[in-house]
Order: sequence, then C-alpha cells, then structure tokens
Amino acid sequence: MRILTCLKQVPERDSRYKLNQDGSSVLEEDLVFETNESDLYALEEALRLKEKFGGEVTALSLGPDRVSKVLRNALAMGADRAVHLKGAEFERGDAWGTAQAIAAAIAPEDYDLVLTGVQSEDMAFAQTGVVLSQLLGWPCATIVLEIAFEDQTGTIEVKRELESNVLERVELPLPAVLTIQSGSHPIRYATLRGIMQAKKKEYRVLTVSDLGLSAESVGEVAAKVTHHRLLAPERKKQTVMIEGGAEEAARTLVDKLVNEIGVI
Amino acid sequence: MTSRIIVLGEHRDGRLKKISWEAIGLGRKLSAELGKDLCLALVGSEIEGLAREVSGRSGLEVVALANDHCRHYTPEAYCEVLAEFARRDNPYLLLLGHTYQTMDFAPKLATMLDRGLIPNCVDFRSTGGQLLWVRQVFNGKLNLEVSPKGDPPYLVSLQQGAFPASEEDLKAPPRVELRRAGVADDLLRRKLLEVMEAVQTKVDLSQAEIIVAGGRGLGSKEKFQLILDLASALGAGVGASRPVTDGGWLPKEHQIGSSGQTVTPRLYIACGISGAIQHLVGMSNSGCIVAINKDPYAPIFQVADYGIVGDVFQVVPKLIEIAREMRP
Repeated sequence: MRILTCLKQVPERDSRYKLNQDGSSVLEEDLVFETNESDLYALEEALRLKEKFGGEVTALSLGPDRVSKVLRNALAMGADRAVHLKGAEFERGDAWGTAQAIAAAIAPEDYDLVLTGVQSEDMAFAQTGVVLSQLLGWPCATIVLEIAFEDQTGTIEVKRELESNVLERVELPLPAVLTIQSGSHPIRYATLRGIMQAKKKEYRVLTVSDLGLSAESVGEVAAKVTHHRLLAPERKKQTVMIEGGAEEAARTLVDKLVNEIGVI
Repeated sequence: MTSRIIVLGEHRDGRLKKISWEAIGLGRKLSAELGKDLCLALVGSEIEGLAREVSGRSGLEVVALANDHCRHYTPEAYCEVLAEFARRDNPYLLLLGHTYQTMDFAPKLATMLDRGLIPNCVDFRSTGGQLLWVRQVFNGKLNLEVSPKGDPPYLVSLQQGAFPASEEDLKAPPRVELRRAGVADDLLRRKLLEVMEAVQTKVDLSQAEIIVAGGRGLGSKEKFQLILDLASALGAGVGASRPVTDGGWLPKEHQIGSSGQTVTPRLYIACGISGAIQHLVGMSNSGCIVAINKDPYAPIFQVADYGIVGDVFQVVPKLIEIAREMRP
C-alpha cells in the first residue's frame, strides 16, 4: 500500500502570541514549532499499515524552511520519503488553497491512501483533508479511530467517532482520504537508528512551478475566505484570579467555595 | 428574489439537535439585520413529520429534502442533495452547527459549490452590509475575523453553545415544502456498516454535584493519582480531558467533551486542562468553574469563575489537605 501522510507544523501548545503591527499575523521570532498532534497520529497509523501490509509511506508538509524539522522527524519515525512544498506562494492559504497544492503533488503519484490529522491546532479549519478528497474525486472519512484493510476487496473499513459516545463503522473503496483522530495508537518516538537512517532517505522540495501550478491557484490568493485581524478573545465570565503561593491560594479558593458560593 | 438565509438542521433519532436551534436563533437575528428571509432545510428519508413539527414550533418555513439514500447519514448522499438544493435556490447564507457530522460533509459541499466554509464561528460583526465572522485559532488563545470572498452562497458553521438557542414553541401552522431529491447510486461509495456505543458507560458523571477533572498537565498515569485523591477528598466524580484518555491514564468513560460526556455539576475543578473547545463544550455550563493551570493564557480561564495560575503539583496537594481537614 502506498500511503501519503500530510503533516502541518504549528506553534507549540504553550506558546504566547505577539501580533504584528496591523494585527494580521503572529510574530514568529519567539515561537517554537512542532508537528501538529493529530497529524502525528495519522503518521502512526500509516506506519502501522505499512508494517502490516507492506508498501511505502511518504510524509508531506507545506511551509518555509523550518518545516524540514517536521519532515526529518517523520523520516526518523519511519516514513520512507519526504515531500516539502516550499515557496511564498503556498503561504497563508485556507483549506482550499492548501488542498490545491497537495492535490497537485498527489496527481502524478499512485497513492492508495492519504491520511491527515482531524484538524490543526493553529488555524483549526478541520477541512483540508475533506476538501482534498473532493478535489481528487476520492471518498473520504473523517475523525477516524481505527483502520482495517481488506486485501482481497481493495476496500478499507474504518471506525469513526461521532458525538456523545457513539462510533460508526464505514467501508470505503481505495484510493481514499482519511482524517485521523488523536488517541488511535500511541505515537512512536524516533529512535537513534531511525534518525541516522533518515539522513539517507529521499527528501524532495517542490515549488509551485514543479507542480505545474500558477501562483494564483494556491495559498492566500486562491483562498476562498479573507483573514482579517487577530484579536484577544473576549472573556465570557469575570474570572476571579486568586493570587499567592500554593497554600495561600488553595485556602482562599476553598474559603470562597464554602462561604461565597456554598458549593462545598 | 432576495436570496434567503438557510439553516441546515441536524437531527438524530427524530429530533432536531440543540445546535440547530442555536443556528435558528442566530438566523433570526441576521434575518432582521440583513432584511433576508430565513428558512430551515432538513435532509432525510422520511423527514416530513419532523419538518412539520419543527416548522410549527419555530414558525419558519421548512424545506424537507427527502431521499431514500439519506435514511442514514453518508457524506456523498447528503452533499448531492444539498448541492442540488443550493444551486437551485441560490441562498445568501447556509448556517450549520459545527458538529462532527458537519466536519465530515460541509467542506465537501463547499468545494462542490466552489466556495469556502468558515468553520466553528463564535461571533459575528456586520460592517457595511458585509458579515465578518469571528473564529477561534491558535488553540483558542486568539480570535480571527474572517469574511468570505466572492459571491453567495456563503457557508458558515457555528460553535456549539456560542449563540443562544431559539427554542420557544410558537405553535404556528406548519409550512413545509417537501422536495424529492435525486441521488445517483454510483456516487455512493462510502457505506455505513454499523453504529455502536464507543464505551459501555459505567461512569455517569451527569448527576455528579462536584467533578474534579485533570488534563495533559498531569503528565502521566502515575501523577494523575493526585486528581483521584482530590476527588475522593471532596466526594467528587472524576473527569478528564481527551489527552488523558488518549494516553490511557484513565478509562475513556471519564472523558468530558464533544466525544465524551456533557456535564453540569455545581462545581467543576479543572486541573492542568488548557481548555480546548472540544473539552469546553462538555463542561462550560457547570455552575461554578475553577481552573488551575500554569499557563495564564490557557483558554480554560476564559470560562472559569475562579482561576489559580500555578503548578497543579503544588496547589492540588494543598487542596487535598484542606478538604481532608474539612471532611475528616
């Protein structure tokens, strides 16, 4: 089975954000980046399928030079080759603009399966995988927890998460796109051996012209929505922040819960 | 014809979901503000009964899009029916709830219509006849204003609980337009095999008066014991955010949020939980919310009544001590 896994680089979860002057983007200089967590779950599923059924796993990411960290890590975890979509034209796209670029990278290949995470932690579109499937004309299943492959029929059977403690089992013909939910299987760490081997693996950089695309067909220009200002969220409640050391804060809190609110 | 605002209603087991009543609430507001008609669309197989009921209750015209392939949800059948409807009616705005079902089909529908989908919106502003939508980005630490490019229809999904529901029964005469929609068999590639319960729930937190919940900040299964100790000292139920059950620190049945339980205890103590929206939807209606987290910018503080910025491993042991003094 030939599997493509799409991985996005996002700021670390505990990041503190500073905005640029017009508030249109966050300043990157103080940020540390990591791989989007649900995309790592997608890669883990891809590697497990390869171990079981053979084949090849390609890791794909889109972004500036720093994105190579995501791809090197994917290779060290066990992906066979990496594709880096690089160039200013790709940047600041919405799900549509990004999916156009990925679809073009997929077109000349013969992948059986494309896996992405359910959503990114930064822009949280939760739709790049689905848009991609529609552009490719492939069936899609989102929020997937388990994948079973039927070699004889060339179909996959997946368990999807629905709301309120409900799951559904669905069957799809290949090729297909799946978006993977977190928690399916524990994400493996790159081993020292993996890191050494990663250095010898294929790492391709593709630009807009390599993909045969025009600059207008990807990224911010192609986006179907316009992003305006970033703002600090409004508080829904007047939160009483309790100061002091651990003991003092704990005593103050309990005092308020007992005497002011009466909930304990 | 002035193009309409259409709420795409989501239903399960013959009932319209709460989020759809929230979308109707926002739809009424936008309808008044923009001077556009509002109606509700429902997709299903035998959908007319529900359509009449919802129309009577809401006073809205309901378009019932009926097709036998839509007895159970599949993205392909739903999108065919809805794309045909959108092309014919050319609505101004399609409002959906940001649910797991919407996440599964709405980006496909938008792509079929050559449009973008603005997902998971929490607010809107109207400026010069244009709507600017507000959505959460960067793990809920920032909001982003977004507008659609190009011509209608615009597709927007709403975060659950972000807008007040419009649920009062207007006892209006039902106005239902039943349309039989066509779906070609060969478009249906994804087959539903089975619907099942995720976990046999033995832990019912919906009746708990107090819940102590822990998150990623606890770090490991061993350290999560601290949460169990505080819960036992307070006589409280034990909850968890997704990373805890993903990591196997606690069984899945303790998970609170969109894929777990929804709870409304009198007191909810969130320890080391950053407050991803998937968690907040399951607990934000609790009576009193306490958040303890080392990150002062964690979104959990946006919904908390009381907040302590600090290390759970220092604050929680003190709380256990005090609680034990109170309940010997």
